[in-house]
Amino acid sequence: MSETSLNSKGAVISAKPNTKEAIIGILEKAMDKGVFDAVLIPMRVPAGDSFVYVLIKDKSLLKDAVPLSPVMSVQGAHAVSSVTRLGKGNMKIAAVMRSCETRAAIELSKLSQINLENMILISIDCPGVLSMSDFIGDPKKGMKLFDDAAEKWDDKPMRPVCQICDKASMVAGDLHIGTLGAKKDTFFIISNSQKGNDVMDELDIALKDSIDSWQAKVKTLSEEKQKKRKNALKDLKSEIGGLDNLLDTFSQCINCHNCMSVCPICYCRLCYFDSDKVKHPSEDYLQRAESKGSIRFLPDTTLFQMGRMMHMSLSCVSCGACEDACPMSIPVAQIFSMIADETQGSFDYVSGRDPNESLPLIAYKEEELHEVEDSND
Amino acid sequence: MTKALMINKNVEQGIIEFLKFLLESGKVKGVFTLKKINKDNAVAYSLISKSSELKDAVPFYPLMSVNAGKLLSRFTLKGATTEPVVAVVKPCELRAFIELVKREQGSLENLFIISSTCGGVYPLEMAVDGTVEKNLSKYWDAVKKGEILTDLRPVCKSCEEFKPYTADIAVDLIGKSDIDKKCMMFLNTKKGEELAKDMGGEFLDKEFDKGKLDKFHSKREAEKKKLFDELETKMNGMDGLIDIFGKCIGCHGCMRVCPICYCKLCEFESPDSEYKPSNYESELNKRGGLRVPPGTVYYQLGRLSHISISCVGCGACEDVCPVDIPVSMIFKKVGESVQKVFDYVPGKNVEEEIPLVTFEKEELAEVED
Repeated sequence: MSETSLNSKGAVISAKPNTKEAIIGILEKAMDKGVFDAVLIPMRVPAGDSFVYVLIKDKSLLKDAVPLSPVMSVQGAHAVSSVTRLGKGNMKIAAVMRSCETRAAIELSKLSQINLENMILISIDCPGVLSMSDFIGDPKKGMKLFDDAAEKWDDKPMRPVCQICDKASMVAGDLHIGTLGAKKDTFFIISNSQKGNDVMDELDIALKDSIDSWQAKVKTLSEEKQKKRKNALKDLKSEIGGLDNLLDTFSQCINCHNCMSVCPICYCRLCYFDSDKVKHPSEDYLQRAESKGSIRFLPDTTLFQMGRMMHMSLSCVSCGACEDACPMSIPVAQIFSMIADETQGSFDYVSGRDPNESLPLIAYKEEELHEVEDSND
Repeated sequence: MTKALMINKNVEQGIIEFLKFLLESGKVKGVFTLKKINKDNAVAYSLISKSSELKDAVPFYPLMSVNAGKLLSRFTLKGATTEPVVAVVKPCELRAFIELVKREQGSLENLFIISSTCGGVYPLEMAVDGTVEKNLSKYWDAVKKGEILTDLRPVCKSCEEFKPYTADIAVDLIGKSDIDKKCMMFLNTKKGEELAKDMGGEFLDKEFDKGKLDKFHSKREAEKKKLFDELETKMNGMDGLIDIFGKCIGCHGCMRVCPICYCKLCEFESPDSEYKPSNYESELNKRGGLRVPPGTVYYQLGRLSHISISCVGCGACEDVCPVDIPVSMIFKKVGESVQKVFDYVPGKNVEEEIPLVTFEKEELAEVED
């Protein structure tokens, strides 16, 4: 179901004693009633210095869950993929994630890396996340920084790519928790699919309340972000546009491929750029050095970036995981996000918006065939 | 006595002159060294074949963007270099390369190696914001005095293998107060002597000043003890490991930059490390909750058991860890303890077999018993 067919009504839920505990209360209730068998949700690690996804069956563990963690240590779609890549299984699992994680999960299901049949994707209005380095250095301070910023919906401390995210409240999964535009001590639950409706039915929560105030607030905010995004990306383009600037930008890249391994969309078991195809005999390298006087070793750093971009930009959800994991602080998420806008735009495609929308490269429109015909004339 | 060549130039300039001579005389067709590759002073290993390009070379720059052992392996993976090439690398990079050669991942043939006593390198993040460039004079002052800088990579501060083992030519840096004016190269092998032949400079019968290096060694030893002791208290059983590795995000960056981890497809990225929904279900029934993706500590321990015998303690892993886990100190500590059992120093000698592929007769008796 696409954004446009989103149910116009939702449920107003009491956020007592607070939003977090109220959400957990609903999850507990759903587990009690057997609406789902397990919940995938972020939880703090024992040392307290990060958050990871935990699949919970014993509902007493839920009390330590954190629906909105301050960092995105592992992209949620990765977690969903690790559980369902080999099949849907017998458990009904609710995954509580950010919108970009939900969207990545939907992209991965289109790429046959996730089976959504027994999954219920629950997204939540996202104020952004802190960069891991900002949080991990001082988790206590990081937690406070995040909580304060999240409460005021202040994106300044968040990652650059979160600061320009205009899809922070995009509803793509089955259910969405809306905190924006809600009256004091309440939040919204919005359903986006039959599955979502069924869950609410089983929980005896009626979807009959108006969500106009949420929609209005989301609209205002995403319009603001769109403006900000446009300006930021314009600046970025002038900074990195052209081959020379691009080469400079990626000159610090050390080929660790962290960006690729944390990218939810890059699912290949063996990346082309780690394969035998890029391992050449010494004479090839020497010839290249000879013709140019000197080559960087390993060469083709920018080729990797552009190759990866070509492979995944139609599905890029701009989650920022790549940039967060880059040891050389290359603004890789911002660059990929900028290109994704353009590649996805040319197909009227928004990654992860709708599970039923085909990936542009595996679908065709009849007029595209004519274009090919014409080019052969 | 080892033969030595002294060039009356600043040590880095001296080496660049020498590399120029090697290219121009046709003794080598390529120079592999660190080089500034753009206007922002980004430094990366480069393969240079025109001597004019050497003007931007920075052979002893205190940075390891990528472990050069890994790069030399890539260069010679498909066979020995077809043309003679000289490489200027750090001692741990050379040791890593030797370990890779032992694993048939590279070839020393037709390759000349220049290394030096090494003062250590800065963490990568200091290269990103230009701090390394700003710190250069401070760095070289410390090298001259044989002191340990506090802001170096922790593994570097505690590295006792700062003197290269098998280099054809070894350059004297640590504790040498006149490196601004003099470049002293020890010609350790026949290959090294051949290279230096006909190069302008003074040929001497000289060796490393053992006393000076011993003094530096004790400083590093003391630093190592301190850092190992600190780690010891944290690495306390399984709970300690969970505390240390709990924040690991599973990016496997440590594996990807590790010179020893050469597998095309890591066990931990293979189908063996993927679980069926039924596996998750039964595990969940037992435990109530399960971290996903699973196997965080298992991955680290697995990698540790795979590579610790050959870990050269270069620190590349820790530098790329996005969540600042002290990976390299842990691997160095465990690595050294494993290596000690076999009396093995990785990369010390290319003829010496990796302990796990060889055996001693009495080991068979142990098994019999």
